[in-house]
Amino acid sequence: MPIESADAVQPRLAKGVRLQTDSATGKSVLLFPEGIVELNETAQEILSRCNGRTFNEIVRALAEEYDSDVAALAADVRETLSDLRRRKLIELI
Amino acid sequence: MTAPRPYALLAEVTYRCPLHLSVLLEPCSCPQGGGYSDMHALNGELTTDEWKRVIRDAATLGVLQIGFSGGEPLARRDLAELVHAAREVSLYTNLITSGIGFDDDRISALRDAGLDSVQLSFQSDDADLADEIAGARAHRRKLDVAAKIRAAGIPLSLNFVIHRRNIDRLPEMIELSESLGAERVELANVQFYGWAFLNRAALLPTQEQVTRAREIAMEAKARLAGKIDIFYVLPDYYETWPKPCLSGWGQRYFTVNPTGDVLPCPTASSAIPDSRFENVRAHAIDWIWRESESFNRFRGTEWMPEPCRSCPQKEIDFGGCRCQAALLTGNAANTDPVCTLSPNRARVDAVLRDINSSNNHAPDWTYRVNPKTLDC
Ligand SMILES: C[S@@+](CC[C@H](N)C(=O)[O-])C[C@H]1O[C@@H](n2cnc3c(N)ncnc32)[C@H](O)[C@@H]1O
Ligand code: SF4
Repeated sequence: MPIESADAVQPRLAKGVRLQTDSATGKSVLLFPEGIVELNETAQEILSRCNGRTFNEIVRALAEEYDSDVAALAADVRETLSDLRRRKLIELI
Repeated sequence: MTAPRPYALLAEVTYRCPLHLSVLLEPCSCPQGGGYSDMHALNGELTTDEWKRVIRDAATLGVLQIGFSGGEPLARRDLAELVHAAREVSLYTNLITSGIGFDDDRISALRDAGLDSVQLSFQSDDADLADEIAGARAHRRKLDVAAKIRAAGIPLSLNFVIHRRNIDRLPEMIELSESLGAERVELANVQFYGWAFLNRAALLPTQEQVTRAREIAMEAKARLAGKIDIFYVLPDYYETWPKPCLSGWGQRYFTVNPTGDVLPCPTASSAIPDSRFENVRAHAIDWIWRESESFNRFRGTEWMPEPCRSCPQKEIDFGGCRCQAALLTGNAANTDPVCTLSPNRARVDAVLRDINSSNNHAPDWTYRVNPKTLDC
């Protein structure tokens, strides 16, 4: 299901992927088999909201919090999530 | 140079492996070089408490992830306890297994201990007539184990060791991974250390095979994106530039072997003859990682000879693989001979020429080499 065609999808961490704080740096990391990804701030902000919210709800929550333009934000979120999905770090339900 | 913090620990918890008993059935090549009897192994193996200390100390040092490997890690009865200890210090836990010895009880015990994922190895090549029956038997057991792991809800990765005899079956391997519902698949061309180095002439695929395999893997990767994460490891002899081995020596990873030696690389002890390693029974892991000669020997770029020393790539590939340099040039401090700029590249080219010459007949698969060099 491409994110483009379904803004009502709920992104969530893929099976076997853990979001955790790296105590050495205080940064958020994704842990998965044989891999570690250090998240940039955008990805971290998005992923911490992937808790049952739909794509649209995530965008709205972020837009409110950062007082920014919904359209521009939606594009950012979509790009980040697509990238994570391609690497099987998140899935869409 | 100052030591960075490590990210991952490979815990080789035992040398024991049931497949030792049946090398004909399952030729695989543990980098460690096996040949250990149960008694040998048991006598020197770290105890449960020693492993727990290693795990805690590794976490303190910054490690976020632990792979339990071996030998066959399931041969240790305290494995669930060790997984639990790792989860207590928030490590991501991965079990690297042949699946032999995995029954329902152990799967649930490990799941309850918090095991994050299982990597199941598939390396039998049932195309080989001689072991067709035996190979099929192991294969069936693995399929059964894969289904059980899935049923227990544990994420599953598959690891296929690829070589000349099975590389043409990539499509079937990918199909199998799909049908088993794996999350991740590694199609890893055999690395030429230990047993595999001795059998290189029989294992290295031809140029034609490699080209085709790469296309198949790339096509499947694109087709299955979001469904299965496919990871294809090239046979690096065919590359122009070396692999960034370990992301640099003593940079991100370390291995603790069954008897407590701490290694920058799991193959280093067999591939680099003059290597000496420190043991967790004698020294703190923190000191070994930061201060010991073994970890500082090839750390950073100071140790590099030409052409690496003045090469702009040196922070990207770290001069390649120390073990490969040792095995192919006799000196671990040389530039990896896979590198096109290496003065020793001709040695790799000679191997490739042999493999690809039209009158080359693949030598027989050496199942019966000295048992000391057969492992896993
Ligand atoms: C050394 S085994 C040890 C753990 C366990 N006994 C198993 O079979 O998974 C770990 C993994 O390394 C793979 N392996 C062994 N020798 C290899 C080689 N020379 N090149 C690439 N992979 C290899 C195995 O297939 C397996 O997936
Ligand atoms: S010369 Fe050394 S640093 Fe440069 S590309 Fe080759 S291996 Fe890498």
